Amino acid sequence: MHRNVVETGAGPVDDPVPVDPVIGASVVREQVPLAELDAAVASGSTGAAEEPRWRGGFTRFSVGDPGRAGQAVQPAPALGWWDQRDTVLDGVLFTDGSGQRALELRAASVRGLSHRYYGKVRQDEYAYRCTADNGFLVAAVADGVSAGRFSHHAARVVTRQGCALIANWLREVEPDDLPWVGVLEELSAAVVDGGRRLLRQREGSQLDADGLDLHAIAGELAATALFAVVDLRADTSERTAHLLALGDTSAWVLRSGTTWEALQPIKNDGAVIATSATSALPVVPAEVGPPRRVTVGPGDALVLVSDGIGDPLGDGTGDVGAFLASVWRRPPAALEFAAQVDFARKSYDDDRTAVVLWPLASR
Amino acid sequence: MNQGRGVLLPFYLVIDVSASMSGDKLESANKIMPKVVDALALNPILSDKVRFGLIDFGSDARVQLPLCDVLDENLTLPQLSVRGSTSYAKAFELLRSEIAANVQLLKADGYAVHRPAVFFLSDGEPNAEDWQSAFRELTVYDRATKSGFAMYPNFVPCGVDGANGTILKTLIHPATGSKQMQMYLMDKGEDAAKAITAIAEILISSMLASGQSAVHGDSGIILPPKGDVPSGISAYHADDWV
Repeated sequence: MHRNVVETGAGPVDDPVPVDPVIGASVVREQVPLAELDAAVASGSTGAAEEPRWRGGFTRFSVGDPGRAGQAVQPAPALGWWDQRDTVLDGVLFTDGSGQRALELRAASVRGLSHRYYGKVRQDEYAYRCTADNGFLVAAVADGVSAGRFSHHAARVVTRQGCALIANWLREVEPDDLPWVGVLEELSAAVVDGGRRLLRQREGSQLDADGLDLHAIAGELAATALFAVVDLRADTSERTAHLLALGDTSAWVLRSGTTWEALQPIKNDGAVIATSATSALPVVPAEVGPPRRVTVGPGDALVLVSDGIGDPLGDGTGDVGAFLASVWRRPPAALEFAAQVDFARKSYDDDRTAVVLWPLASR
Repeated sequence: MNQGRGVLLPFYLVIDVSASMSGDKLESANKIMPKVVDALALNPILSDKVRFGLIDFGSDARVQLPLCDVLDENLTLPQLSVRGSTSYAKAFELLRSEIAANVQLLKADGYAVHRPAVFFLSDGEPNAEDWQSAFRELTVYDRATKSGFAMYPNFVPCGVDGANGTILKTLIHPATGSKQMQMYLMDKGEDAAKAITAIAEILISSMLASGQSAVHGDSGIILPPKGDVPSGISAYHADDWV
């Protein structure tokens, strides 16, 4: 049904409520309670028996006390990095080798309240891609180390080139045989190259970018890395995933929409004083992995997150665990997913990134 | 247990209220906490995380403000008054037991707690007592053997008037390494009450800087660079000559 706005008599938005023609202008208009007014606005209704012309609305997700930051932070632009987006998101359905619905993906990366407040870039990143034969889905999450001014670039290199490299290898080898250390070393070199290029651009001849060693470059840009390879080949509803993590980006299985299974030790578990020290590329640690292999089926979700979500999730038994288990039991709409990733909770103000994969039942 | 209840940055302010602090100096010291509250009220990111505690000491030491969210609307800030001599030992002992109790409680409640920061303000020399042992109990921790006090704070000594720079310098902790702290000492001939106001500025600016870096810095406190301290005060590292 199409209605012309002018015909229905709706005035400009800032017009006061029309004066009642019968009683005239002398009457003081009735105070409409705010809640009712909001409800009317949310349904696109101007009242009475008129059918709503639109529906919807947005309420921010919050878990417990949203904190002062959750209510008061005004987002400042990240000066000098105009092309680094504040929020990115995706919602995609993947099919298996026989064209059947196989896997739902939702992904979002959201600039944290702290970076919004201080006018800094989002340093988290994610990427995903299928192999050319559609046999595997490769997904990645990286968290740029905040001490480095170019760390968002490291996160982009790690996720995008990481997925491309792994997808390339999967043309030749099975996921079990992926040369993870070689992949990390290649990414390390790419991060270092990118860092030198940025330093030359920004510092010119002030700095001998080529003379800087690995650790000096890592001080300028570094990012954690988490990769997942999901097998899409078989016409089955159980999906095998291979995962490798470097640093405190974490992978979880949300089992049957109820239980959080951590695929790595819980950060700061048993620590007396919390620390945020973490491994990050371009430094490849002496010991990597081992890669994890896990099976997820319909009703489960494979969840890849940066510590912006991992930290408030804790061991999964608290309020954030209950919240995300509830809203991620099934794939939500992509925009809703991004809003869930951006939930407010007092003192948790880091960038947030989540890539969640839901295997679908085969038919 | 890690339930993701929150991330906290604890700060303790420890103030000498021995007899020599009476008058302008005490008045100036009593204005530190209101300034901290005003600074936090302007920064929602920081005020969600910072917890502040206030301890004073003379012949004994007392908790004047238990570690808390100072923007809590039910909170009344304490007014300090002078009493007795200058027992550093009593201050260190109480600080240690407070930190231990506070951190344990917060962790049991599911919070992640960053390493506490202590600003210690004195205008005089310590009593003739074994304050050195009390300070070691507060600050020494061996990561390899896990012996000592794992919750040891980052300790920032601040001195005005008759405070002895040579003694205060031994209280800088950690004294070395990438997270070394500093001492702030009033320059000779300056006004002590003004110097206390300047130290409050240093406390607040390091609190603000720490908030920016807290997401990934595990020390939980960033001190202003040496050249950036207000006039009338000088900053020293542990290996600087005083």
